[in-house]
Amino acid sequence: MRKLKVAAALGLAAVGVAALGLATAAFAQGASERVRKINLYTWPQAALPQSYQASQLIAQQWRQLGLDVEVKPLQRQAQTQLIWFSRDKWDATMWRMVGRPERSDPDEFLYSLYHSSYAEKGYNFIGYINPEYDKLAEKQRTQLDRDERRKTAFAMQEIINRDQPQAFLVHPKYPLAFNKAVFKEDTVVNQSGIGIRNIWTFLKIEPLGAQKDLIINSNETINATNPLYIGGAVDSWVTDLIWDRVMRIGPDGMPQPWAAESVSWADDKTVDVKLRAGMKWHDGKPVTVEDVIFSFEAPAGDKAPMYKPFVTDIAKIEKTGDLGLRFTLKQPNTTFLTASLAKINLIPKHIWEPVLKDLAGKPETAEQLKEVSWIGSGPFKMVRWKPTEEILLERNGEHFAAPKIERWIMRIVPNAEATLGMLKRGELNFIGIFGGDPEVLVKFAKENPDIAIRSEVDIGFEYVAFNNRRPPFDDVAFRRALSLAIDRRLMVSAAWQDYAIPANSHVSPVLTFWHDPAVDQLKTGIAEAKKILKDAGYRVVGGKLYYPVGKQEKLTTE
Amino acid sequence: MAERAEPVLPVRTGWPLLAVLRRMAAMPLRDPFAFTGLLIYVLFVLVALFADQLAPTDPLEILFTKAGKLAANVPPSLDFPLGTTNLGRDIYAQLVHGTRSALAVGLSAAIIVAIVGTVVGLVAGYFGGMVDAVLMRIADMALSLPFLPFVIVLTGFLGASTSNIVLAVALLLWPNSARVIRSQVLTLRERAYVEAARVTGASSWRILFVHIAPNILPLSFVYAAIAIGWAIITEASVSFLGFGDSESVSWGYMLQDAFSSQALSRGQYAWFVPPGVCIILVVVAGFFISRGYEEVFMPRLRGR
Amino acid sequence: MKLVLERFTHNALALLAVTTILFFMFRLMPGTPLAAFINENLNADQQQAMLEQFGLDRPMWQQYFIYLGNLVQGEFGLSFFQRRPVLDILLEVLPNSLILTLASLIIAYIFGVLAGAWLAWKRGSWIERVAVPAVLATRAAPEFWIGMVLLALLSFNAGWFPSGGASSPGLAYTNNWQRIASWDYLHHLALPVLTLALYLQGLPLLLMRSNMLEVMHEEFVTMARMKGFSEWRIVINHAARNALLPVVTAFALGVGLSMGGNVVIETVFSWPGIGRLLVQAVSVHDYPLAQGAFLMIALVLALMNFVADLLYMVLDPRVSHGRKG
Repeated sequence: MRKLKVAAALGLAAVGVAALGLATAAFAQGASERVRKINLYTWPQAALPQSYQASQLIAQQWRQLGLDVEVKPLQRQAQTQLIWFSRDKWDATMWRMVGRPERSDPDEFLYSLYHSSYAEKGYNFIGYINPEYDKLAEKQRTQLDRDERRKTAFAMQEIINRDQPQAFLVHPKYPLAFNKAVFKEDTVVNQSGIGIRNIWTFLKIEPLGAQKDLIINSNETINATNPLYIGGAVDSWVTDLIWDRVMRIGPDGMPQPWAAESVSWADDKTVDVKLRAGMKWHDGKPVTVEDVIFSFEAPAGDKAPMYKPFVTDIAKIEKTGDLGLRFTLKQPNTTFLTASLAKINLIPKHIWEPVLKDLAGKPETAEQLKEVSWIGSGPFKMVRWKPTEEILLERNGEHFAAPKIERWIMRIVPNAEATLGMLKRGELNFIGIFGGDPEVLVKFAKENPDIAIRSEVDIGFEYVAFNNRRPPFDDVAFRRALSLAIDRRLMVSAAWQDYAIPANSHVSPVLTFWHDPAVDQLKTGIAEAKKILKDAGYRVVGGKLYYPVGKQEKLTTE
Repeated sequence: MAERAEPVLPVRTGWPLLAVLRRMAAMPLRDPFAFTGLLIYVLFVLVALFADQLAPTDPLEILFTKAGKLAANVPPSLDFPLGTTNLGRDIYAQLVHGTRSALAVGLSAAIIVAIVGTVVGLVAGYFGGMVDAVLMRIADMALSLPFLPFVIVLTGFLGASTSNIVLAVALLLWPNSARVIRSQVLTLRERAYVEAARVTGASSWRILFVHIAPNILPLSFVYAAIAIGWAIITEASVSFLGFGDSESVSWGYMLQDAFSSQALSRGQYAWFVPPGVCIILVVVAGFFISRGYEEVFMPRLRGR
Repeated sequence: MKLVLERFTHNALALLAVTTILFFMFRLMPGTPLAAFINENLNADQQQAMLEQFGLDRPMWQQYFIYLGNLVQGEFGLSFFQRRPVLDILLEVLPNSLILTLASLIIAYIFGVLAGAWLAWKRGSWIERVAVPAVLATRAAPEFWIGMVLLALLSFNAGWFPSGGASSPGLAYTNNWQRIASWDYLHHLALPVLTLALYLQGLPLLLMRSNMLEVMHEEFVTMARMKGFSEWRIVINHAARNALLPVVTAFALGVGLSMGGNVVIETVFSWPGIGRLLVQAVSVHDYPLAQGAFLMIALVLALMNFVADLLYMVLDPRVSHGRKG
């Protein structure tokens, strides 16, 4: 009812203003077109309260520029359908990129988000096309010299800051918690940009007393525990622990040798790896060079589509000794260590070769194979898995980095209230993700001195994506103005309740080496935004925003 | 057979429409249950009508303190009788404006259920034969759909709008009333006065709507009153599960918001208790009214 | 026997209709089911392969028959995200849901029948005047809200009950029976059962009460009274026995009905049942899983409708003799 009334009032107002606008416009320097209504898509409040709140605040600020803005919450499916699969049909949407250990190398965001080759189908769904940027994106991949590559990364961040193809809002800060009466506090490891929920913590955390199990929560079901398939966000928490990799992203965000004693570049297309001696699969058989080669060749076919992109750059792999092997790449690729060596799970050839042979010629891929085998060589072994309840791993005492805890148990707890209740009762002693209001968790820890909180700024970020293909967002001035109109401090305080820091770069400030501090100085404010629009020829007549003279568009807001 | 202090007007003769209506209107005065129920309804209707005056704050407006900070989790005070949510919304305003969406959902579902159920029941009962068989098979089909799961699937996939929820509820509830009305019609059409009308050459439709329909009006009313409650609870449940219309403030929306924003852990009873109490009141009012009418018009249906 | 067969076909047809409605409902949803996979790694060919794999590239009517054929063989398809047979996932959680439902119903019906009989006996007293509206209020309260309040009071504040789930971390059992009979499982079960029972007891209570009121005026009760039996004995021996019959039928129907209603309870208490599975599947748009969970609930409902029909025939002689096919 209220909506109807508002709509009616708006309608009346629109008629009035339109009449006024027409009259004034006729007196002004020739006719120009009014900027049409902008739909700002967002998630329903129930799904992501912070983003929803942010979209409401942003709409308020944009309206001050003379724009008509409607906030439209869409369920996930509908939003994906529109934003991802109908790329020319929308104007602006709330969006987020999440942090993952392998995103500690800035390449994934630097390249995929804005490279024109990804505009039609990939991550560049906003349709940002800039040949200058493309060149730099390709260049940084070939730069083995870190300092040189850093310069390129800075240049790229500055281009994005100048063009504002979207408005970055914040890098969220996720508070996580553990019980310090159960675990020695200083054995918990913070991974930069990820937080304390990481493999380094699970390896090094030390129990203080009789409770030797780490019990962590997850708010979603684990979809797959398959070394060749990731079905959901939490799946990798488990696969990380069961299967080793040649390298791992360290707590500092840099790849370090893991199942290898050394990894080195022979030249810009050749990587030499020397494996660790004495590694064993969980079934007791030794880990061999053949196993490692097999692990990288297996996804190259069409049986593990999810991992295939990480091995397509490999031209060949040769055995160079009992523990040595050499990767030759098709082209220089500095991200190979992070994107391939630290990504591909090592799997036993004696188990998977027959399985993949059996699949040959069939439409199924290895992704559909459930529970073929949980034999890895990692620091934990799978004991049992009940998808809707819990997953239980136990320590692999023979591992070169054997964990201190006896068992690693993940409980599926979809709601935040229950999560806190369980933490209180000791049914959980580690919060790996918290779906509720972060403030409540922090307050809870204050009242329960056994609970310790750690928060870390995320590698990922939240932003408003602009559709660069469509007017008015095809105009840099317009995009800049809309971005500057958003008060980032308000975003942090009123939407993310201070559990975030303002963002203006696709490289998070936690990646201290790669983040360009120069772009942090984004001066926001309605006045500034209005000035940009005015300078670009936009006019405000009767409170409504008009295009510069001559600019026309035939689009309609859907 | 039925023991009861008040005299029961048996459904023996055909009542003219006006008499039925007059009786229906007078009834609450004689039954304390129905009277209480109606009183609750009147109260909520008044709240819905004057929501803008009772709570001038927009329930979705993001509120700030004088210092420019988000007015989050403000405890109940004179300004905010029930406090604010963790994202700075006025809970009292949401509660008051939620009355509108509750009544809109409840009444629209009730009207559809009453109309569809009555028409189907009348037609099936009076004409019998193939028409009856087909209509009743459709009713069976609708009854074998699990209620809440069906609404969830429908709104989850078709989109979370209030009208989809109303549609789903109506789709599943009409068969109950249609069945009962049909059996009532079956007995009515054998009555002498209907026979008399038939002999004098009245058309089937005339007999149906002029002679029979008024008699089953109280029944339609009973089922409509029950449907109001069902629709409101269903909307609340669906909203609670996160499939609700995120643009309209309803009590279910408030409870979902409170639960996922952890009002329980924070002890914000003023946030999650009042919407629940309001739902109970409205739904129970429907029960009271339907009970009151059953006691008077259909003694044999009590307690079902 | 003929009647049994008729009721069976009747319920089976209704189930077929439900599966048909469901099929078209899922196929006519906006957007391709593939939109659920945002994945830069899938190229057009792979998407096509996936369409074929799920049979989504055939004409609608072919899809329908493939679907029916599969259902008959117990083949519900593969979960989009979990990539394993939907039936396995369903069977894993079905026992939890059935136990929750049955336990609550049994408690609700035992309490409801006794309290209903007692209230009928107390006809006209102040107890009745308070109790009847109170019972109606329990029927009017949203189950999830009752659950929220009980959870806040009894678990978060008092700490008497676990906050959710079906078992404590890391416990292992040799088989499902041992697990269900364990103290730990029952402790987790208690609060959801209490909530559900609180909601469910209203129906048997009111039904029992009104049946009792009717039965108590039947001839044989009057006869017994004239023979000088004590009032309570009459209630127990004569009236209650006859009044109980419709309640038994209602119980069977209740199993099917409350399986659907459990959806919210299972969500509030993080209970690993079929309702929560349905909610999760719908929210991530896992079509095959959502479809399977829905069908499983519908199947239980149809089965219980059939059982209720049978009970009705057995218990109420009027139906089995007087009714014409």
